[in-house]
Amino acid sequence: MATERLVIGIGNQDRGDDGVGPFVVHGLVCRVVAAITCRGDITELMTLWSEYANVVVVDAMRAGGPAGQIRRVNPADGPLPVAAYSGSTHAVGLAEAIELSRYLGRLPDQLIVIGIEGRGFDVGGELSPTVRAAGERIIAELLESGHA
Amino acid sequence: MTEETGPRTKVIQVDYLARVEGEGAMYIRLNGDVVEDVQLKIFEPPRFFEALLRGRSFTEAPDITARICGICPVAYQMSAVHAMERACGVRVGGTLRELRRLLYCGEWIASHSLHIYLLHAPDFLGYAGAVDMARDHPALVKQGLALKKVGNAIMRAIGGREVHAINVRLGGFYRTPSRQDMTALRTEIAAGLSLARETVRWAAKLDFPTLELDYEFVALRHPTEYPFCEGRVVSSTDLDIDVAEWDDNFEEQQVAHSTALHAVRKGRGPYFVGPMARYNLNRDKLFDSTRALAEEVGLEAKVRNPFRSIIVRALEVVWACEEALRIIDAYAPPPQPAIEVLPRAATAWAATEAPRGLLVHRYTIDAAGLIRDANIVPPTSQNQKTIEDDLRAFITQHTHLADAELQWRCEQTIRNYDPCISCATHFLDLQVERTHGH
Repeated sequence: MATERLVIGIGNQDRGDDGVGPFVVHGLVCRVVAAITCRGDITELMTLWSEYANVVVVDAMRAGGPAGQIRRVNPADGPLPVAAYSGSTHAVGLAEAIELSRYLGRLPDQLIVIGIEGRGFDVGGELSPTVRAAGERIIAELLESGHA
Repeated sequence: MTEETGPRTKVIQVDYLARVEGEGAMYIRLNGDVVEDVQLKIFEPPRFFEALLRGRSFTEAPDITARICGICPVAYQMSAVHAMERACGVRVGGTLRELRRLLYCGEWIASHSLHIYLLHAPDFLGYAGAVDMARDHPALVKQGLALKKVGNAIMRAIGGREVHAINVRLGGFYRTPSRQDMTALRTEIAAGLSLARETVRWAAKLDFPTLELDYEFVALRHPTEYPFCEGRVVSSTDLDIDVAEWDDNFEEQQVAHSTALHAVRKGRGPYFVGPMARYNLNRDKLFDSTRALAEEVGLEAKVRNPFRSIIVRALEVVWACEEALRIIDAYAPPPQPAIEVLPRAATAWAATEAPRGLLVHRYTIDAAGLIRDANIVPPTSQNQKTIEDDLRAFITQHTHLADAELQWRCEQTIRNYDPCISCATHFLDLQVERTHGH
């Protein structure tokens, strides 16, 4: 198992605020040990993150809060709020991947999910300013906290 | 959810239909034992992509259309490149053609494995979803993920990454794999083939609800191959056309309850695309070993029970693994990764077999290669009306079932098609309303 930390940004940069995960990864690239984007196939993550002891996942969410609101979830505290993470257009979303990993023994020792409330997810849209600012805060926080 | 809405009226509602690609809405109204209305509501934006394509270069179509779906982007790329190459009078053959088939094998393996194990299996084993199923059957889920990983490995090796391949272009690829790349891939696929065969044997032992319908199956048919990218569009009745004759034989109809278009065969009505259609129309083109496995597990030569599509899907994973091994064993790197494709003013059609069925593209380009018009007919649009007909038929034959089981089977009936609503849509609610009397 790799000892370094892994940062995973989930989302599609071509769909407005859905791209905040990749935006964070882009901001960390070359400054962290491992940072990758996941554009859709969440099932691949189950294999990938099982190889790391410490993983941070950054994803856009729609939980009814104000745009840019940041929520942190530790799966060790219990199941993810599936509804808040059901924005994926794919059949297997992040919450399901985490719960599947739990039963398959593939959860990293430490996994933190950082959800950033998005406003617009239109095809071809750009990050809204408030969501971008939230993403920048997360980049700074991860750099400070030792992910650099 | 079951709800009494009046003394003789009952509503069964599922607020979120899980385990389909994407989201939409479903409404069913029953009057006693009579199904009065079935509506599969899909708010379909692929037409947005068609508008987006206008004015763009013909070389961009494969990458733009791939973004329609994160599960079957290879299918969109393949239909786009074949249509554009037909427009430009170019035919890609030899090793480059084989590499395209190999890439498509990867998508079939990954997409089918996801559906079989994580989306469809819970229906048969009595679980609400893959998470619950994993609690009791972790080995089964691990097997599915391992098989899906084989498909992803192929797409990564040939397409550059597992989702939204970046290595596909008109005329071929940007880079072709080395012989060593293929050797590494072969080991993974060979292991996947064993898993795939076990999957067929496992799927064939599941308990299947009864439902036999007289569908018109539509798929590509090639003279010598199980179909991927080439062949005539044929049906189980009398159809045998070049895809360029599509508009003469098919039409997309608007319906009031959905922004999605329903494709029907002109003068006949709904039809059925996907693995069952491919198998029923091309069983003779499977490898002998694949067909022998079908016979071993008792899969009929003409499958008409849509619940048994899980066996056919599993069989196609076996075939795709075998086809991938065949391509790899014969592989020698081509002299160049692509052949030149120069634009000319033309309109051209192409159809390829996406995991869920026939995917039709039509483009009009000008002499400079700018796209003037585009039309995309995804498989789920073609199956929508058939899905509604299945629900109507199933409910009619099973009104004796308790509401909870009826609702469960209705959802499963939809999932039989592995509908790729994510090409399009938002939120699928299933609502069954029962009334009695007039």
